[in-house]
Amino acid sequence: MTDPLAALYPSLGSSNGATGGVDDATLVTSIRTKAEESRRAQEAFVASAGLDLVRMARRLAAVFRRGGRLLTMGNGGSSCDAAHLAVEFNHPVTVGRHALPAVHLGGDVAMLTAVGNDVGFADVFTRLVIAQGRDGDALFGFSTSGNSANLLAAYARAKTDGLVTLGMAGGDGGRMAHSPDVDVCVVVPTPSIHRVQESHVLAYHVLWDLVHTLLAEAP
Amino acid sequence: MKYVDEFRDPAVGRKLTEQIARLTDDYMKREKRTRPLKLMEVCGGHTHAIFKFGLDEVLPDAIELVHGPGCPVCVLPVGRVDDALHIATQPDVIFTTFGDALRVPGSKMSLLQAKAQGADIRTVYSPVDALAIARENPEREVVFFGLGFETTVPSTALTVKQAQAEGIDNFFLFSNHITIVPTIKAILDSPDLQLDGFLGPGHVTMVIGMRPYQFICDTYQKPFVVSGFEPLDVLQSIVMILRQLDEGRCAVENQYRRLVNDDGNPVALRAVTDVFQLRKFFEWRGLGSIDHSGLELKDDYAAFDAEKKYAIPALSIADPKACQCGEVLKGKLKPWECKVFGTACTPETPIGSCMVSSEGACAAYYNHGRLTTLRRPTATREATT
Repeated sequence: MTDPLAALYPSLGSSNGATGGVDDATLVTSIRTKAEESRRAQEAFVASAGLDLVRMARRLAAVFRRGGRLLTMGNGGSSCDAAHLAVEFNHPVTVGRHALPAVHLGGDVAMLTAVGNDVGFADVFTRLVIAQGRDGDALFGFSTSGNSANLLAAYARAKTDGLVTLGMAGGDGGRMAHSPDVDVCVVVPTPSIHRVQESHVLAYHVLWDLVHTLLAEAP
Repeated sequence: MKYVDEFRDPAVGRKLTEQIARLTDDYMKREKRTRPLKLMEVCGGHTHAIFKFGLDEVLPDAIELVHGPGCPVCVLPVGRVDDALHIATQPDVIFTTFGDALRVPGSKMSLLQAKAQGADIRTVYSPVDALAIARENPEREVVFFGLGFETTVPSTALTVKQAQAEGIDNFFLFSNHITIVPTIKAILDSPDLQLDGFLGPGHVTMVIGMRPYQFICDTYQKPFVVSGFEPLDVLQSIVMILRQLDEGRCAVENQYRRLVNDDGNPVALRAVTDVFQLRKFFEWRGLGSIDHSGLELKDDYAAFDAEKKYAIPALSIADPKACQCGEVLKGKLKPWECKVFGTACTPETPIGSCMVSSEGACAAYYNHGRLTTLRRPTATREATT
């Protein structure tokens, strides 16, 4: 007869409480489940925000056409997305697409730590917008909740300074979705942070493509 | 009242607190230690006893009690509440649940709000009550929201066995039962939480016995004392932990001998493993996915599995960003340090599950508010940043 405790706690046979291995089939099932969740989130996003993404691409193409720059920002994983979006424009991987000027604000560690230490983390992007932003540039933020205080503060400043303000959010879009300081905000309508960020990657890859397609057209 | 009054005797309590003060002082001086001793009470029942009886007020400043994740409603993730709502709003379903799960917020609403909108959701005190409802309503589908640690799993297991024995085909279980041992290991592996000892969960141990905790001493060298829930139980358990520290040893000890056998309850354990098997993965609110910590019905009982009967969304949903239940559950934050504690989040309008459950740490702080205690750590915290 099986020891009930061993069945309930596979770690009992181990001196450090580690459990036994998980079989490959179970792990593949876990991967498949998450991939399916991600696909459903992307479909819901395209259905609800497809036209907003096109609108965003038109605004951004107009910025580049006038000689403006793209400034990107986000916190944590969203900061990585902001860096990724900037590098897509700076370093196009498709032959025939030219480089466009983009700056990842979160890449300036000295500035972030200086403002964070001296003023406060809520102002780190605002100070960078003051230093870097010019009338006619675009400010692009990523926030899975849509409620990041430092992004919202930067948007307010950018709006005052004449920048085009764009963003991607998740869940119900939070404050970004309804802020008068954000010109276009596309929202991935799922509360899962991971699924939101996966849809964001899809969205900004497509955005990059749309912008180049629009720039190739006659103005 | 017998078995209560003798464990609330103020004179004995004073002696124990004197012992605690002496042992703590000796240890801190000998070890030249300035950082407080951090002891985690794993169970939400302990947290409430500590605040209800003001034990935090009589302990030395050098002892910090850290509130653990042993409140099953508190660790229920938003996605599972949404799944429960999905089942509860199906036509012909009577959804039965323990009362403290009713107000846990899902991503859009709670079970209580769904009930107000017309869903047939009923409070029960035992899974046996749910089975009785199934017998009385053969034309309806009755789902029991199975919640809880090893303490409540045996009653659910025996109810499912009973349903099978009676051939009841309109009773289903939505299992969210979980086990506490893998969670303690997850906390011990957390790099940002340095604990010096544990007050172990008395009721869980009544079922599983002492053996599953041995790795805590063998590998992590932390004293572990299974504790009862009356004030003198908690104080005596702290004395037992301090004695272990003082003597430089580490063991799993049983303070709650009047209820807990070292070998647990073999009959209950057998019922659990007859009916349930471990899930490979299960997500906890605030703590993320912990392997081998959730329980699901075995194939022999698949006919009673609500997850197989209803196509639940099973989405992983993040906690509200303003809510810091995760940090509270891991013991990294005190409830009152949460941004929304007592303002946006109250027992009447909870954002986080720790404020909902009668065993939740936030509810304990809110209901038994210790303002002087709250002020003291604030000063310490500000001085160190």
